[in-house]
Amino acid sequence: MHTRLKVFTFAGALSLAAAACGGAASSADPATPRTGTGTSTGQLAIEKPQLKLGFIKLTDMVPLAIAYEKGFFEDEGLFVTLEPQANWKVLLDRVIDGELDGAHMLAGQPIAATIGFGTKADVITAFSMDLNGNATTVSNDVWALMQPHLAKDGDGRPVHPIKADALRPVVAKFKAEGKPFNMGMVFPVSTHNYELRYWLAAGGIHPGFYSPTDVNGQIGADVLISVTPPPQMPATLEAGTISGYSVGEPWNQQAIFRGIGVPVITDYELWKNNPEKVFGVTNAWAEKYPNTHLALVKALIRAGMWLDANEDANRKEAAEIISRPQYVGADLAVIANSMTGTFEYAKGDIRRLPDFNVFFRYFATYPYYSDAVWYLTQMRRWGQIPEQKPDDWYHTAAKQVYRPEIYLQAATLLIDEGLAQRSDFPFDTDGYRQPTRDFIDGMEYDGRRPNAYLHKFAIGLKGGQTANTNTTE
Amino acid sequence: MVGILRLWRSSPTIPVGDLWRVVGVPLLTILAFLFAWSRVSASVETSLGQIPGPLAVWQQAGNLWVEHQAERARAAAFYERQTQRNLRQLAENPDAPVAVLAYTGKPTYLDQIATSLMTVFVGFLLASLVSIPLGILCGLSKTINAGINPFIQVFRPVSPLAWLPIVTMIVSATYVSADPMFPKSFINSAVTVSLCSLWPTLINTALGVSSIDRDLMNVAKVLRLKWTTTLIKVVVPASLPLIFTGLRLSLGVGWMVLIAAEMLAQNPGLGKFVWDEFQNGSSDSLGRIMVAVFTIGIIGFLLDRIMLALHQLVDFGSRR
Amino acid sequence: MSAYIDAHCISKSFAVRRDTRHVLGDVSLQVERGAFVSVLGAMGSGKSTLLSILAGLTRPDTGRVTIDGVPVTGVRRDAAFVFQNYSLLPWFTALENVRLAVEAALPELSSDEQRAQAQRTLEQVGLGGALDRRPWQLSGGMRQRVAIARAFATKPQILFLDEPFGALDALTRETLQQELARLCSAVDRPVTTVMITNSVEEALLLSNAIVPILAGPPATLGTPIPIALPRPRTVAGLAHDEQATHVRAHVVATLTAALGRARRFGVRHAADTVPLTTAVAQERP
Repeated sequence: MHTRLKVFTFAGALSLAAAACGGAASSADPATPRTGTGTSTGQLAIEKPQLKLGFIKLTDMVPLAIAYEKGFFEDEGLFVTLEPQANWKVLLDRVIDGELDGAHMLAGQPIAATIGFGTKADVITAFSMDLNGNATTVSNDVWALMQPHLAKDGDGRPVHPIKADALRPVVAKFKAEGKPFNMGMVFPVSTHNYELRYWLAAGGIHPGFYSPTDVNGQIGADVLISVTPPPQMPATLEAGTISGYSVGEPWNQQAIFRGIGVPVITDYELWKNNPEKVFGVTNAWAEKYPNTHLALVKALIRAGMWLDANEDANRKEAAEIISRPQYVGADLAVIANSMTGTFEYAKGDIRRLPDFNVFFRYFATYPYYSDAVWYLTQMRRWGQIPEQKPDDWYHTAAKQVYRPEIYLQAATLLIDEGLAQRSDFPFDTDGYRQPTRDFIDGMEYDGRRPNAYLHKFAIGLKGGQTANTNTTE
Repeated sequence: MVGILRLWRSSPTIPVGDLWRVVGVPLLTILAFLFAWSRVSASVETSLGQIPGPLAVWQQAGNLWVEHQAERARAAAFYERQTQRNLRQLAENPDAPVAVLAYTGKPTYLDQIATSLMTVFVGFLLASLVSIPLGILCGLSKTINAGINPFIQVFRPVSPLAWLPIVTMIVSATYVSADPMFPKSFINSAVTVSLCSLWPTLINTALGVSSIDRDLMNVAKVLRLKWTTTLIKVVVPASLPLIFTGLRLSLGVGWMVLIAAEMLAQNPGLGKFVWDEFQNGSSDSLGRIMVAVFTIGIIGFLLDRIMLALHQLVDFGSRR
Repeated sequence: MSAYIDAHCISKSFAVRRDTRHVLGDVSLQVERGAFVSVLGAMGSGKSTLLSILAGLTRPDTGRVTIDGVPVTGVRRDAAFVFQNYSLLPWFTALENVRLAVEAALPELSSDEQRAQAQRTLEQVGLGGALDRRPWQLSGGMRQRVAIARAFATKPQILFLDEPFGALDALTRETLQQELARLCSAVDRPVTTVMITNSVEEALLLSNAIVPILAGPPATLGTPIPIALPRPRTVAGLAHDEQATHVRAHVVATLTAALGRARRFGVRHAADTVPLTTAVAQERP
C-alpha cells in the first residue's frame, strides 16, 4: 500500500506563497512615494516630504525617536523612516551617497569629512543633538588593579572624578609584564576617541599619535587605542582583548549590569557640558532642500525641548520608547539609569548625574563654532591634522561645517508659531562660547585662540610638530 | 496553478512501510533535539542572561508576529488619517494639491523576509543570466574554457564581505539618478549575491555541456543539424540536469551569502534584522536572533526543495 | 565499373594514453550503387571506425573515400545513419525525433509536410500508436524502430547501419531484421547500404555481399563474398539452403583463421572472448 506524501514540495510551496503574499503585498515601500508633491503644513513648502534618516543604536539618538513618536515630524509635513545603521562608517557613507537624507552623527564626522580626513565630502550640521552622554569603562581586572591608587571618601567609595593618574601604574604594570594595554573607542573621529585621549593624557599616559602614513593612531603610545563597534565592546572586554572602552550609552551600564566591567568616568566629569552628537546632512542636500532642512531642525528642536521639559519629567517615557527593538533595543532597566539622571559606577555605587544627558538646556542644541574648533584642535593635537594651521583656518573650517544661521531661522519659525520662547535660544551669541575651565585638568579652553590652547598641553602635538618630530617620552 | 500541479505530480510516492523512516524518525530526533536544547540552555549562563530555550524562542517568534500586526494597524491608521486630511483639504478648496504618501514606518519581520527573498531572487537571476551562457560557451570550446578557468578558480573562493566594499563603490559611482527605482542597498546586496553564487552554475553548466553523451553529438552530426539547432535542441536539453544541479547549488550559496551581505549593505532583510538585534544587546536579543536563524534555515530548505522539484522535472536521464 | 562508394587505402590510428592503437591498416572497399553490403567481424575489430570514416563522421589518417565521385568531407545530405544504441533524444517524443531529422534533411517541405512525413514513416515501422511516447516509455525494439524510421524518413540514398540490432534480444532482432529487409526492398529507388554486424545470419538475411573484417591490429578486409540468394529471404529458408550453409562455413573459417594468426603473434584481441553468433539459426526448426 502506498501513501503519497507531498509535505515537502506542496506545503512548502504553499507556505512560501502565503508568506510572500502576506508580507510584501500589503506593505508599501516607503522608499518609493506614490503620487503627489509635498504638502505644506505651517508656512514651509516642503520639497521632500519622505525622508530616510540613519542612526546608530546609542541612547542619544532619542531626539529622532521622540520627533517621530510624538508626531513632531508629521506636524512639519515630514514622513520619516528611521533606519538603524551597521556602524559609523556605513552611516557616513550612505549620507554622502544619498541613500540617507541625514543622520545622527558624531560631532567629529561632519568636520572630518569636510577637511578631508577619511572620505571627503561637504557635510554640515545645523543642530546639535545633545551634550555629554559618554563614559569610559574598564574591565573588572583593571578596576581591581586601580583600587590601591584611588582616593576614597568616608564611606569607602572612590572620589569622583577619577583621574587617569590612577590608571598610570596599571599601564606601567602591563608594560613591565610585556602585555599591551588595549582600549577601544567607536570611530577615529568620534568624541569618544578625543575624550579618552584627553583623559589619558591628563593623567600622564600617552595615547598615541596619527600620521599621514599611519592611521592607526598608536605612534609612541602607552595605551593602544583602536576602533571597536559598540555592540562588540562588552564581548571583547569580557574576552580580555581590550582592557577598557569609551562609548556612549547603553554600553557602559550594560557592562555593570552584566558584571563584566566598571565605568570609571563620564565625559560630563571630563568636560562639563561638552558637545556630543549632531544631526548631519550633506551641504548639497541642504542647498537642494532648504525648507525640508528647516522643518527637520524645527521638529528636532521640539523633541529636545520635550526631553528636557519640566526638569526631565519626560525622560522615563523617553527611555521606554527607545528600549523598543527598532530604536536602541536594550533592556529598559539598562537605559533608564542614564536617561533619568542616575549612573551606576562600580556595582552598587549609584550616583546622581542629572546632566548625564542634556538635550536642550544650556543652549545644548545650538551649533557653536567653538565646539567645532575644539574638535579641530584635538584632531591637530593627535596628528589627524598633520601640519600646523593658523587660527583663521580653524575658524573658517568651523564656519563651513556648523550652520547656526539655519538653526536660528528654525528657532524663529517656532517662536512665531508660539511653540517656543525667545529666551530659549542664544540669539546674541557670535557663535563662540565663553572661555571655560570646566575640564578635569582645569585647562582653559578659548575657542577663539586654538593654537594657544594646543600649546598648553604636555602631551600632544603643538606648533609645527609632527608625529615623528614630537619628542615627548 | 499548472506549475503547482506539476510539482504535485512529480513528488515522490512513499510506501507506508517507509513512512516510519521518512517521517517518524526525523520527528523523534527533532523532539530529542528540542529536549536537549532546553536542558543545555537552562544550565548555561552568559553575561546576557540564559541562552534562550525552545520555549523562549517560540515566544519571541510570537512577539515578532504581534509586532507585525501592530505595525500594520499603525499603517492603516496612518492612511485613514491621511484620507481624512485630504478630504478636509478638498472640502475647503477643491483645487488644493493633495498628496497621497506611503506610510514610513519600520519594516516588520515579514517585510524583511520578503525583502530578503526578493533580493536573493534578483541576485540569483542575474547570476544565472551570466553564468549559463558563459558556461555553455566554456563547455563547447576548450579554448574558451582554458581562458576563463583562471578567473573561475581565483574568484570563486572570495567571500561576499570582501566583494561588498568594491561593489558598493562601483554602484555608488555608476548608479546615479535623482529618483532611483531600487535603493542602492538592494542593488549592492543583489550584485554581491550574484558575484558569489554564479560559480556553481558556471562550472556545472560547462561540465554538463562538455560531457554530453558522444552519441548525442553524433546524432547531431549525422542529422546535419544547424549549429543553432544543435545548441537549442541537443546541447542544452542534454546538459539541463547538470545545469539544474548548478542552479540548485547556486541558490543555496546565494541565500547564505545574502544574509552576510545584508548585514553590511543595510538592505532591510533578515541579515539586517540579525545585526540590529545584535546591536540591541537586550535580553530578548538572543532569542530573536535564534528565531531568525531558524527562519533562514527553513527558508533555505524550502528553496532547495523547490529547486529539487524543478530539477526532477527536467531530469530525463534518470528515467531511461 | 567504378563503385558508388569507393574507399581506398584507409588507415586510422588512435592515441590511447601513451600508446597508439592502429585500428585500420590500408583498408579498401568498393560498394556498388543499390547494393547492401555487410561488414562482418568480431567486436572491437574496427568495424565501427570504418563505417564512421565511410559516413564522413571521422577523417582517416591516410587514404580517401569518394561517394559517387565526390570526396567525402562530412556527412552527406542524402545519407542516413543508424547507431547501435538508439541515440534518440530523450526529451523528444518519437514523432519529434523523426521530425527533427526530416526538418534538417528536407527543409524545402513545409512544417506540416515534414510532420506528415515523419508520421508516415513511423507508421511504416508499426509505431503509429506510439507517436507521442518518449524514449523511456518505449521498449528497446521500439526505440530501434524509431531510429530506423528516423533514417528512412529523410529519404536517403545511402544508409549506414552500425550493428543496428546488436543491443536487442534474439527474438526482437529477428523481427526487426525482417522489418529492415522489407523497408529496403520497399523503397522505390536504390538505397546503397553498408551494415556492420557480428551475426552471420543477419548478414546472410539482408545483404548482397559480405565483407569479412580480419582481426588486427591493424584490421584489414578479406575478399568480399557475394550472396546470390533470391529475395525475400527468411530465416527458416536460410537454415536449410545449401549455398547459405556454404557461405556460412566459409565466413566463419575466414574469420577464425584471421583470429588464429593474430593469436600466434601474441596480440591480444577483444574478439577472443566473443563467439560468432552462428549457432542460433541452426537450432531453429
